[in-house]
Amino acid sequence: MQLIGQILHLLITPALWQTTLESGVLLLLPALGGVISERSGVVNIAMEGMMLTGAFAAVAVAEVTGNPWISTLVAIAAGGLMAVIHAVVSIRFRADQIISGVAINIFAFGITAFLNSKITNFQGFNPVKPSAQLPYLHIPILDKIPFFGPIFFDQNIIVYVGLFLLVAVQFMLFRTRLGLRIRAVGEHPQAADTAGINVYSIRYGSVIASGLLSGLAGAFLAIGITNVFNDGMTDGRGYIALAAMIFGKWTPIGSFVACLIFGLGTSIVANNSTLNVSRDLLSMLPYILTLVVLAGLVGKSIPPAADGQPYTPGSE
Amino acid sequence: MAAPQAPTKPAKPGETSMPVIWAKQLGRLIGAPIGSVIFAFIIGAIIVLITGGDPIQAYQGLFCGGIGLFCTGDLYSSITPALEISSTIVFATPLIFTGLAVALPFRAGLFNIGAQGQLTMGAIAAAAVGIHYASWPGFILLPAVLIVGTLAGAAWGGIVGVLKAFTGAHEVVTTIMLNYIAAFFLYYLLRGGPMQLAGQPEISANVGAGAQLPHFLNGNGQLFGQPIGVYQAHTGILIAFAVAVLFYILLKRTALGYEIRAVGQNQRAARYAGISVKRTLIITMLIAGAFAGLAGGVEIAGLSHQLTIRYATDSTGFDAIAVALLGANAAIGIILAAFLFAALRVAGPVMQGNANVSQNLVDIIQAVILFSIAANFLRTFKIRLPALRQTPPGEDAPMVATTVTELEDTEPSEPAEVGDTA
Amino acid sequence: MSTTAPETPQAMTGDEGTIAIEMRNIRKAWPGVVANDNVSFTVQKGEIHALVGENGAGKSTLMNVLYGLLRPDAGEIYVNGKLAHISGPRDAIALGIGMVHQHFMLIPPLTVGENITLGREPVYNVDVFDTAKANANIRELSAQYGLAIDPSTRTSDLPVGLQQRVEILKVLYRGADILILDEPTGVLTPQETDDLFVVLRGLVKRGKTIIFITHKLREVLEISDNVTVLRRGKVVGHLVTKETNQEEIARMMVGRDVLLRVEKPPAKPGEPLLRVEHLNVTSEQGIPAVRDLSLEVRSGEILGIAGVEGNGQSELVEALAGTRQVVSGHIQIGDAAITNIGARKIRSAGMAHIPEDRRESGLVLNYSIADNLIFGHQRDDTFTWKGIMLRLQTIREWAERLIKQFDIRTPSPDIAARALSGGNQQKVVVARELSSKPKVLLAAQPTRGVDIGAIEFIHRQLVAERDSGAAILLVSAELDEVRSLSDRIAVMYEGRIVSFEPADATEERLGLLMTGGGQKQEHASA
Repeated sequence: MQLIGQILHLLITPALWQTTLESGVLLLLPALGGVISERSGVVNIAMEGMMLTGAFAAVAVAEVTGNPWISTLVAIAAGGLMAVIHAVVSIRFRADQIISGVAINIFAFGITAFLNSKITNFQGFNPVKPSAQLPYLHIPILDKIPFFGPIFFDQNIIVYVGLFLLVAVQFMLFRTRLGLRIRAVGEHPQAADTAGINVYSIRYGSVIASGLLSGLAGAFLAIGITNVFNDGMTDGRGYIALAAMIFGKWTPIGSFVACLIFGLGTSIVANNSTLNVSRDLLSMLPYILTLVVLAGLVGKSIPPAADGQPYTPGSE
Repeated sequence: MAAPQAPTKPAKPGETSMPVIWAKQLGRLIGAPIGSVIFAFIIGAIIVLITGGDPIQAYQGLFCGGIGLFCTGDLYSSITPALEISSTIVFATPLIFTGLAVALPFRAGLFNIGAQGQLTMGAIAAAAVGIHYASWPGFILLPAVLIVGTLAGAAWGGIVGVLKAFTGAHEVVTTIMLNYIAAFFLYYLLRGGPMQLAGQPEISANVGAGAQLPHFLNGNGQLFGQPIGVYQAHTGILIAFAVAVLFYILLKRTALGYEIRAVGQNQRAARYAGISVKRTLIITMLIAGAFAGLAGGVEIAGLSHQLTIRYATDSTGFDAIAVALLGANAAIGIILAAFLFAALRVAGPVMQGNANVSQNLVDIIQAVILFSIAANFLRTFKIRLPALRQTPPGEDAPMVATTVTELEDTEPSEPAEVGDTA
Repeated sequence: MSTTAPETPQAMTGDEGTIAIEMRNIRKAWPGVVANDNVSFTVQKGEIHALVGENGAGKSTLMNVLYGLLRPDAGEIYVNGKLAHISGPRDAIALGIGMVHQHFMLIPPLTVGENITLGREPVYNVDVFDTAKANANIRELSAQYGLAIDPSTRTSDLPVGLQQRVEILKVLYRGADILILDEPTGVLTPQETDDLFVVLRGLVKRGKTIIFITHKLREVLEISDNVTVLRRGKVVGHLVTKETNQEEIARMMVGRDVLLRVEKPPAKPGEPLLRVEHLNVTSEQGIPAVRDLSLEVRSGEILGIAGVEGNGQSELVEALAGTRQVVSGHIQIGDAAITNIGARKIRSAGMAHIPEDRRESGLVLNYSIADNLIFGHQRDDTFTWKGIMLRLQTIREWAERLIKQFDIRTPSPDIAARALSGGNQQKVVVARELSSKPKVLLAAQPTRGVDIGAIEFIHRQLVAERDSGAAILLVSAELDEVRSLSDRIAVMYEGRIVSFEPADATEERLGLLMTGGGQKQEHASA
């Protein structure tokens, strides 16, 4: 009975839901990237590395310029650059996309840690100065609404950007010509090719988009949430985003729901001082849930038909 | 490879004699890995150079720190080559096991990213037995620890196989999930959970003395100016060699290995020949998990003697992917690749300490090796050297199972196939 | 007015106004196979031109060249009298050529409207897909050509006939004047076929030109104006449909120039070894492929299945071999029922199987010849100690013996099967399957893509196997092969055996039966 009381108490704490939304959007950005990339037929398990690269770039640039916007732009570009490698290796060279993704993740870890020690002479970057951090938006009046105010109107700016991107990507994929072509290329590249669509440019663009979004997530993490750079600081968030994407059946909205569930997990772990359950056991839950989904126990999650298959023109 | 026997009859004109073919096969087999390593070192040197470092000094550090060679000059005079070699052996041990754990599923067409989680579960189970029955005599306890570790890893790998066979869940995603579940389970056990050593953060009690694998060097004296205790190379490497031999025998000499390879090469033909693909996939993952689980057991018994967070946080599972790919999924190749990456891991800190180049250069080199093998950049060069390519009597050129065949295989061999789906 | 292939095409001038497509001296070869050998092909504007030939005759290759999916090694293409350089489908589309592929180029999860407009989507506000306009365009197009369809349906929800309609609309939407239809009736029911023909006639009335690839002669006579017949990569005749008949086309298609005589003593059939009763099997797409089929093969006889490919032969063989699920019916070897018991048990019951595609199903190309020679028997006591360890020495000796016995040309049993020629690869499969001393042998396309020498050798082996008491079911797209090897012939058409014929049945009669003629038209009933 006491435990139930504790849980209820936790559930009506605004801070719990505030953190849930924040962590959810942090995962959402790379998950959206994954959705776009895989919808075009390129398997992407490299969001982790792209995000880490973004985090590093954000902190490094923030240290020099002190400007969060420039830092964020560079972080986005850095994530995109990693994605270019993945795209060239898996589209141009038709490499195994999973091996390429693994290599990106190792490479990103290595190069960021390498540059980190090089630039700071093994001292590590200083914590990001408040003026160089991505700001929180306190929307006046609305943020005073009890309970809902802090959750929806007192968040980091990237949370709002992320929610906007969620709507934008959902709209792009399912309502625009570009989205139609991305889905066509991911389902049946031969059919798209015979319809006069350039399979390669669509795939390059989609993979690079996933890098840009992951880079943005890296900036959000490093100069919006933790405000410090540590080697390997993404700590598996890119992989959770991957899980969220599968959980969400390769749709933006579905992925967001999954990200919120995973975010709630993170948030409970962060706020569980009142709860007498191991945070490590709680942290396991998202992964177990994903396994359950994968096992088909909660509806089947089916990837795009040509996901992971390199395209060779003229072949069927 | 079957043992090469020189053909008794002379080769007919137009046919290439067997020794020449074998030589070429061998060349193709080791050409790509060696080329990839050289390519990666060149890229690494360029990165060191443009970030203002001295690549020659850096690589001297890697050689000295990894295999005790070129420890000359003031920078490296303080390094004890024998100690570096001992440490390389320590690092190579789990890499051989996990490299095999990645390679076997590769042969069946599965990508096991989960060696890390399988190793973690093996270590947990092995440590639990070693601690709980610490008083048992060694001749029972040590085998028990290793066997239980093996079984735990097999179970963890088996989940992947069952999910793949019956629900089609992609093994890459399930193994990543299982890695995290294993890691958090370990954290739980060591952070306030049942295995935490009272009052100590994130470590367990020691396993019983009987559960420990002997080191190669024992005693209290000194060797090359270092106390013997720091030479941690343990007999686990012999178990690793034995498992590599087992792997070889399994793949090349048993009906099961024959079926595993057939499923990996051509599932359709395997089904036609009456082989159960599902069963084969599950058994493959069970064995792969067993290899990785044994790695965990051996690490507990030979090196750490207690459970620590490291079992989930170090990079063994991902290094294993590089080991398997660089080792061409073959036993001898995996052993060599494991030593290479172990040497690099050991040498990283030496290079960092003495040449002032971050040890993460090793990660970069490793990633470039992976890119290069996966993308087969070297293929581009091969095509420019037509003289090296002989056309065998058949319809398509390559004779060995390498990715080189991709280009040729996209050509339909019969006109009837043109309109068909692959 | 039957004429042979014109060696010198007429000058292009003068015909500018009436000729839609002219392909001159097209050659396309792959290593070991000449798919198109100096093929010239002319299509008049506004006609339905049938391109017929057996499977592998080079029809699809020729049309893939025209559509830009393949580059010819030699030859020229003129479209509406002008020399055309077609290096991809995009060029072909721009020239007004559209192709309806045998395997539809549709994306199942997308709607009909999205599929049709893909690549030329109507948009508003820069890039928003204009569903309303797309659907309106399609409705207009549908009305214009009498092809009713609901543009907002998910394509995967449509039956095959309507999916084909979507493909045709897709081509028309792109403004094609010349439509290539590759085996369009292969996946259709007779009813849907009739509907298609109505549509095609409507298209011609509106000025379109149609190239119709088929091997069903009834359809050729019903729908086409002119016929071009291909055999083994060469044009063997141009015919005017009104002036010819099914017999003449059938004779041209199957040909009589290659006569492979097989020396064989008369059969001495014993008791039935393979019995199939009321078998029903569906294809990958879930369409009935084998319909209520019954047959019996006796010890010491070869039953040949004649039929144009795609009439259910592959599915029949797979069902017998245990690699495809049987929907209903009964199969037995001797007295043992083997229906749906799995490939492994069927093999141990005494079935051997030479699969129709050795590279996909018969061999592991990267395995050595020795390993391939024990494929499927790797757990037999002969080759394995207690089901675990392979007996390498035995396997090697075994391989050396079979290599000698079956004349497999290789310097060593350790060579990868990939390195062998097609004929030698096939000998490896035949050697392995015959060496298991089967009661029943399924031989599907046993000599496809192999050289003459190997064909004769394999034929002799099959006859020897028959004489030692095996029951052999031979499936071949080569009518010559069926006629020269079989003791009895079963003709298969649209999943049924339409007739059992004696071994000396004439080509004309078999050709007629294979293409749906010579029988009561049971067309309306299905």
